[in-house]
Amino acid sequence: MRPDDRNYLPSHEWVKIEEQTATIGITDFAVDELCSGNEGDLVYCDLPELGRVVDAGETFGEIESVKAVSDLNSPVSGEVVEVNSEIEDHLEILSDDPWDRGWLIRVKLSQEKMSELLDVLAYEALIAEKE
Amino acid sequence: METWRLITSWGTPPEFNMGLDGALLEDADAPPTMRFYSWTPPALSLGYFQRFDEVPAASEAFVVVRRITGGGAIHHTNELTFSISASLDHPLFEGPVTRSYTRLHDMVCEALSNAGCEPALRGDSALLSDVEDTGMCFHHSTPLDIAWEGRKGVGSAQRRRNGRVLHHGSIKLGSSQYDTGVAELEGLEDPAEVAQMIVEVFRERAGIRLQPGVPTHAERMRADELGERAIDPDFVRRR
Repeated sequence: MRPDDRNYLPSHEWVKIEEQTATIGITDFAVDELCSGNEGDLVYCDLPELGRVVDAGETFGEIESVKAVSDLNSPVSGEVVEVNSEIEDHLEILSDDPWDRGWLIRVKLSQEKMSELLDVLAYEALIAEKE
Repeated sequence: METWRLITSWGTPPEFNMGLDGALLEDADAPPTMRFYSWTPPALSLGYFQRFDEVPAASEAFVVVRRITGGGAIHHTNELTFSISASLDHPLFEGPVTRSYTRLHDMVCEALSNAGCEPALRGDSALLSDVEDTGMCFHHSTPLDIAWEGRKGVGSAQRRRNGRVLHHGSIKLGSSQYDTGVAELEGLEDPAEVAQMIVEVFRERAGIRLQPGVPTHAERMRADELGERAIDPDFVRRR
């Protein structure tokens, strides 16, 4: 079972909201789709500058595996206040620990507008359909 | 039998080629679409994340564009480019990226074998065409790449966005000053012949009929915008 302390997007990003700050990352399923268990296949991750304002549903970054570039979508609206700078040089963290050390950005929530978020049960059901 | 749209354009400008692919990726209402095209004038396309300075040919080429798909640079001359835009839910693309390559490349291999070569997935062995530090797609290979005679024969890359995928493929029909030492289809000069071989395999192997069609007005308008960006020097040199 994936963590139940956060919500998910159908496009496989997770968001954990604590007070007015949202921490955002991608799920183990997203990582597996990109690199099929071969963590060396992840080659590049482009994350936003601090201070950038993102809207719910908007692309905030991009990740490249050996054979595909995929968008990273923000589940919430707000200002990027922290970026996990460790990720760009150590993409293996996304395979090792996508839920904690593998967070990508933190966003200060600007409004209540959010994408349609899934709880963990709904996300697990979505994954079960795909597997 | 499933029907896809087929858009063919021979000798079209680099910005049109890239812009239309981008528009088809964005168009959530578009049917699965196969494109076959070639480039006039010839151009060098950089991968989305490539650094301009890490591709020596980029400083020499007459025209340079940046793709929205990843991977290495390709010199588009004497070649067939194909693209597929579709939903990620389509059986050809669902699941891990690697599985989509395996399915698609199996069909491309079958088509190319009808052209007289013996293509196969590279597997674990390095290729004779592998060359370091050129930044060229055909000089770098991975296990899922298609090769024959020990050389890479098909360049490929994907972009995935909002539940859709754009798959790019490049097949060399002749030599290029930058893509040196790679596999070519001997005896074929017309990219339309290779395209037809792919059309037939899609029909026979996957039950997909490629029905000739054209872009919608909205797709063409968006293609113009995205094409301007693809060739804009600021975008080409963004990294």
